[in-house]
Amino acid sequence: MKLRINGGQQEVEGADPDTPLLWVLRDHLGMLGAKYGCGIGQCGACTVLIDGEPTPSCLIRAADVGDAHIETIEGLAGDDGLHPVQQAWIDEQVPQCGYCQSGQILTAVALLRNNPQPSRDEIDRKMSAVLCRCGSYPRILKAIAKLSEE
Amino acid sequence: MNRAQAFHPDRRRFLKATAAVAGGALLIGINWSRGVEAAEQEADGSEDFQPNAWVALHADGRVEITVAESEMGQGPYTLMPMLVAEELEVPWSSISVLRAGVDPVYGFQLTGGSTSIKKGWVLLREAGAIARQLLLMAAARQWGIAPERCRARDGQVFDDSGRSIAYTRLVGLAASLPMPDKAWLKPPEDFHVIGQPLPRTDVPQKVTGQAVYGIDVRRPGQLFATVVHPPVFGGRLRAFDDTGARESPAVVDVFAIDQGVAVVARDTWSAFKAAQRLSIDWDPGERSGFRSQDWEDRLRGYDARPPSREHVRGTPEAVTGDRIEAEYLQPFQAHMTLEPMNCCVHFDDGKLRIWAPTQSPSLAYGSAKRLTQNRIERGWHKLLNKVFGGYDDSIEVNTTLLGGGFGRRLEQDYVEEAIQIAARFEVPVQLVWTREQDVRNDFYHPMTYHRMAAELDAQGMPRLWLHDIAGGGVSSWGARHDYAIPHQRIRSYDFEPPIPKGPWRSVAPHFNVFAVEHFIDELARQAGHDPLDYRLQLLPDGRLKRCLLRLAERVKADGLNKNERIGYAAASTFDSHVAEAVVLRDLGTGRYRVDRVYCVIDCGIVINPDIVRQQMESSIVYGLTAATLTEITVENGQVQQSNFHDVPALRLHQLPEIFVDIVDSTQKPGGLGEPGVPPLAPALANAWLASTGKPLRRLPLRLS
Repeated sequence: MKLRINGGQQEVEGADPDTPLLWVLRDHLGMLGAKYGCGIGQCGACTVLIDGEPTPSCLIRAADVGDAHIETIEGLAGDDGLHPVQQAWIDEQVPQCGYCQSGQILTAVALLRNNPQPSRDEIDRKMSAVLCRCGSYPRILKAIAKLSEE
Repeated sequence: MNRAQAFHPDRRRFLKATAAVAGGALLIGINWSRGVEAAEQEADGSEDFQPNAWVALHADGRVEITVAESEMGQGPYTLMPMLVAEELEVPWSSISVLRAGVDPVYGFQLTGGSTSIKKGWVLLREAGAIARQLLLMAAARQWGIAPERCRARDGQVFDDSGRSIAYTRLVGLAASLPMPDKAWLKPPEDFHVIGQPLPRTDVPQKVTGQAVYGIDVRRPGQLFATVVHPPVFGGRLRAFDDTGARESPAVVDVFAIDQGVAVVARDTWSAFKAAQRLSIDWDPGERSGFRSQDWEDRLRGYDARPPSREHVRGTPEAVTGDRIEAEYLQPFQAHMTLEPMNCCVHFDDGKLRIWAPTQSPSLAYGSAKRLTQNRIERGWHKLLNKVFGGYDDSIEVNTTLLGGGFGRRLEQDYVEEAIQIAARFEVPVQLVWTREQDVRNDFYHPMTYHRMAAELDAQGMPRLWLHDIAGGGVSSWGARHDYAIPHQRIRSYDFEPPIPKGPWRSVAPHFNVFAVEHFIDELARQAGHDPLDYRLQLLPDGRLKRCLLRLAERVKADGLNKNERIGYAAASTFDSHVAEAVVLRDLGTGRYRVDRVYCVIDCGIVINPDIVRQQMESSIVYGLTAATLTEITVENGQVQQSNFHDVPALRLHQLPEIFVDIVDSTQKPGGLGEPGVPPLAPALANAWLASTGKPLRRLPLRLS
């Protein structure tokens, strides 16, 4: 099985064909940024972008991803440094335990790509897909507000 | 955090040596012995300087500060180094953080009860100050002047003529000097680190996906395991058929352990999938008929037995008149840390290595020692250590970052399971629970039933206050309030917990403060008083009252819309003082929204105002989840909920606006992680009472 991840091609061998993308990333490719939280698409900690769409990677079989392009937290920073969303997350000191933050950041990246100045309603709809038990939400809102002003 | 350094063998040798020199005295204080490595430095000319177990100055200018508290989001990887850096006088940018291993030099490691700052406040400043004193003395000696003429700043020593020398050029000399017998702590007016909103040291790795939680531990040759526990509390394994589970070539082994059936595979998913294909015959045991509803009924009849504890003020039995009564109920709650329970263990050639996202490495170590007494090698010196209360260094506990804690990771059950599983292998094995196992095998916040009664005087103020608390594993902590009520009786009825019970963020104050603070509003309403004025009249002058006054000013400045009502609550817990106000907006057609939450905290001297703010935001979101969304119920001995679909957590679209004010204080620091939680639920219930005229006496509060 071949997967297109973060602009490159990754070969996966020996995975059970039923294996969700999350576990292929974590256990077969050693990409540990996507987290396991619920396994049923409720918490969003495993969110990756598939052709730009935030998707819980625990719900989709890696075998079903096909040619679609997968973006993970590991691919977000470029040679010229952090992605602006990551930088905003640092500036606003968003993470606490941090376990959900890969999912939060990727969801915010997709949100702002689609609309650099999202309404509060749109932010609510998109960002409510990812749970944070520590309550980093006020700072997520601040970081997104700051990014949409730029 | 530099992981390579964390496991650097020289580092461990130093810590061992330090511990060996200091012996049992370490538990009561800091150990200033520099141990063997300092002596070695003098011999081999090495330029690192490790004046104590918390500080290491490297020749290249890096300063490593060791933290013995677990980072689960509450900030110790930033706050503890700030305490050291303040006294050490080094640039914040030069600091890197190292997580301590289990070693007596750090005392008993347990992160809980909002105690980290309280424990570290003097200890860690002294660790920094001692190091600074040695560097000052080294500079003075080098310059041939009196140490009093030197001062430290920004990783350098200056003298009164303006001459300066970098710490890095003093480390060799400093390491050879005798330890000062006393730490010279800076006066608070000289603080320039403490009190600053410094960015957290753990944030950069948490935005790039590089942060290593327990579940991210990867060791060469590692296998992956999961456990299926009995579906019913107290259930036991009779037999299992693993034919289906073993069909997958990725499954390595399936076997029984004390707690259930373990599946070991080459990857996590294969272990999860195989676990679902097990056919297990459970003996349901004696608690298979347990229902939380029955337990609630039993708690209502609590006074068929004598109270466990009683606190009396005045002569409550002599007050006989018309009483106002109310009963309150809080359900069982699960912790729902976003990272499920997990632990990696390697029986490695006579060593037992553990990687765990634990709130207590010391408890994990104790579990390991108890479970493996005969399994790992122990030489003569290790036996001596054991006899004289020393540390068994054949057990190594590496504490990772924690994806949430909330008290759940004070229990070491998952560590014990991982040890049992890995004991059958020579390679490392990582145990990961599914979320379903996590929800159903928790140590739950107890269900509590509260019966309140009060009698009002002619002015409508309470002169009698009765509060009975019943539950499994409960106390009256948080029920003993500051209100000036002449006659009081607070009794707790502590039952044997019917299901596993454990500490849960803000513990007993969560249920007791709810009852106290909602009942106060009920009384105010009955008496025709404004609840805020009522509180202020009943509270003695002091820190909590000042928080409440400040909160009231803030709320007044913002004002309320016509369709909004407000509720207040305040409590002093964990040596901090917090007042909160919830604004509830009536959306019409019987719908309400929590629109704003105001919070004022007095936590004594503030180490990092941004982290205080963050912990209050966190406490309010945590409190809202418990107050409005979640409960754990049990039918036939089985937890009815299983995942985030039926134990929801507050989501971003449900977030109220949160305003936090921090009181300037010169008092000793108090706790931060928990004191913001208890006032939230009663403030919300009070806002509901103000909106609808009806009390909300049972959590979760249904706002419709």
